[in-house]
Amino acid sequence: MAVAVGHPRRAVIDQAWRAIGPGVEVLSTDDGGPLSRTVKRIIDPLVLRLRSNPQYSLPVVTSETAAAMHDLIVRNGPELCAAATWFETLKLERRRLRIRTGNAQELYFPVCFELAVTKGAPAPHDHQTAAGVLQGIHQGRDRTAIEVLQQYVASPDVVSMLADQLDRSWRDVRAGDIVTGPFLAELGTVLGPATSHRAAAARQQVWNAVIADATPYNLGALVRVEAAELPWSIVELGLSSVAPQRQPRVSGDSDSDRPLDRSVVDRVRSTLRRALDRDALPDIPLLCEEEVDRACAPWGLLGEDKQATLVAGIEIAVELAPLNLNMASRYALAAQIQARLRKEAYVLHARRYLAAGGPIHPRQQQVVDDLAAYAQPYLSRLWARLHGRDVWQEPCDDVDGVRSLLEGVARSVSLDHRQRIKAMLELQVAG
Amino acid sequence: MRLVADSGLWSSGPVPAGLAALPLVAVLEVSGAVLSWTVDEPTAATQITFTDLSRADWLWRVVGESGHVAVASTLGTLAAPVAEPRTIELTSVDIVPGSVGPLRRLAVGHWLRRWWPASRRDGIAGLDRALLDVEVALLSVGAQGFFTDDTLDSDLAELLVPHAPALIMHVRDDDPRIRDLVRAGVGLADDIGIDGVGWPELFAILDDSTAILEIPAGGRDDYALAAGADVGPRGATPIARGVASINWSAVPPAIFDAGESNVDWSVAVAGSAVVAVVRAAVIGPDPATGVAVRVRSGAVGGGGALDAAGHATLTLVDTQQRPMTESAAWDHDWTNTSVLVGAEVSESRQSRERVRRWARARLDGPADDAFLAEILAGESSY
Repeated sequence: MAVAVGHPRRAVIDQAWRAIGPGVEVLSTDDGGPLSRTVKRIIDPLVLRLRSNPQYSLPVVTSETAAAMHDLIVRNGPELCAAATWFETLKLERRRLRIRTGNAQELYFPVCFELAVTKGAPAPHDHQTAAGVLQGIHQGRDRTAIEVLQQYVASPDVVSMLADQLDRSWRDVRAGDIVTGPFLAELGTVLGPATSHRAAAARQQVWNAVIADATPYNLGALVRVEAAELPWSIVELGLSSVAPQRQPRVSGDSDSDRPLDRSVVDRVRSTLRRALDRDALPDIPLLCEEEVDRACAPWGLLGEDKQATLVAGIEIAVELAPLNLNMASRYALAAQIQARLRKEAYVLHARRYLAAGGPIHPRQQQVVDDLAAYAQPYLSRLWARLHGRDVWQEPCDDVDGVRSLLEGVARSVSLDHRQRIKAMLELQVAG
Repeated sequence: MRLVADSGLWSSGPVPAGLAALPLVAVLEVSGAVLSWTVDEPTAATQITFTDLSRADWLWRVVGESGHVAVASTLGTLAAPVAEPRTIELTSVDIVPGSVGPLRRLAVGHWLRRWWPASRRDGIAGLDRALLDVEVALLSVGAQGFFTDDTLDSDLAELLVPHAPALIMHVRDDDPRIRDLVRAGVGLADDIGIDGVGWPELFAILDDSTAILEIPAGGRDDYALAAGADVGPRGATPIARGVASINWSAVPPAIFDAGESNVDWSVAVAGSAVVAVVRAAVIGPDPATGVAVRVRSGAVGGGGALDAAGHATLTLVDTQQRPMTESAAWDHDWTNTSVLVGAEVSESRQSRERVRRWARARLDGPADDAFLAEILAGESSY
């Protein structure tokens, strides 16, 4: 075996953190390392800026990268110390105002660092800034944006304008000739194993071809055609309540939460709710206009890379069944995710939340049945993530990024499912 | 360190116990891996099953930096172990002594919540659920470096939320160990923003310590005993009777007495029907309502669900669903009658015995890693 070189990413952060010295105790664990939330909410996004520095996000980094990370963190020492003081100030104010909602670290950490960068350390006895910050955090900033949206679409003129645009856009999307064979073969490479650098590079090239291929677009256009021949049913996949897909509406509460059933206004509303950095969004009229086109695009997504990722996700989703011991997988990635899901199901057995092969209490039957239809929640969540990326124009052109998105969605759906299985058991404790 | 293929995943240490030995397995789900131990083998190796090595950003804490890099570079160049069993030796990689101790203790805490064999028959006292959950939550905070991703075991709010009423009772306890634990738990709840029944009151009590004096005294709810557990079949002489044992992994915890032979059954005539009367010994605090029960004896059988007290009366029918007649019942050989409570699982009586032995030893002389709830249960047994 070759001598392994490199440094675990988290160890690098830990050491750099300790090098800052005193002043960051409230952001640290008892043994002096950074709190998990310090890493998640401050170091990763605001100090290392993983979005623009992907080399800092690898699980094992080179010595050079490690040195750069170390340097960056230590150089931010004064800001981190100031952020720590801000956190103490906000916590005191939180106690004074008897605020008890939300996780203080989760909510306040990013703001504290922002304050540290813009204002330095807090002035002594400055209650006002702290009180203002807490007010901003706890009074639901997203309410205002959603109110603006409601007012905007309350106008009949606006609705009819959007409806006209919707009719035109919907008609513009037509399926071209479609041959799925070569495309699915390419997906096999994308979702297959890559154990060498060369294979990994080849896989990236194939993905480049896949997202330039018209097949995902055509498949998405075809799901709205009566009697079209498709490899799957969008109803069974949980993407739509009817097949073929219906033209979406401008507004009105959908009778279903299926991605392709949702109205334009409903879709904009989720964008506003999810938006952490709302300033970066276009204003409401533009957002609605854009969303009309997006709702009419194949799979309800504008980016061809997003459409391709959704199709890849469908191919994975149909092979996932956490409680099925004998699930066959065509793709290595699906097999790997399935193996994880099986292990996570084992944890439920080991914790007496599930008996071998089924519910441990009849009350859980519904959730256990849901687990058998794993593709539906999986694709709903994948679609929501892709929708977000589509709105913010974040690319899905990196094959490893796409694969880790497909894995991450499985992880969060599994956790969600398992928490429901637990909750169904614990109902009786409360009742 | 030796890595072996375990159902498509790489795993260190021995291959995990099958489902039959489940009552003995303590697990902890951390970011990118599941750790497991056998509860009554404190010195046995930790088993680490990697669900996603790239998410296991804590590995260096357990095997050192070079170990972490060695594992990552070795597994990074290998396909998932899907085919035949495979083994990899990583000669220079070992678990750093002491590094997994706190994780094992946390896993045991989770295990205690679900498998502790409380039994009136066996004299194994129940554990105080509120104190146990608070201690598990506090240990989880200490292990936060292992929960970069949310996992089944990273949700602290869920551990604390139900317990405000019980903690209100504990806040004024004479025992300083209890008071300290409760205070630490409430401090944590304050930080993570817990809301729910009783919490505003609990926060208010600790904000204003003089208020403590106004709280009415309340007893500790060690384990609520449901009534009527030991009642045997009454009335006319039964046609047959016997006992059975419940598989722990077939039923949710905190319902049944964990002793062996905890189900009494009898066959009797009720009106024109032949019925099986089943009485499972319950210990609570949760009711047995809805738990499935099945009686089978040769070609006859019956099924249904238990009531809150663990009782059920099942009409016996043959394979064609025809009711059994009284004369057929007297002629029937009831020797091989099985009574199945809960789901159908395989579980060995031997592993239950091992758990009881281990639990008794913990109560008799508290272990170094004992939870306060165990210590208190041990003290109450004298």
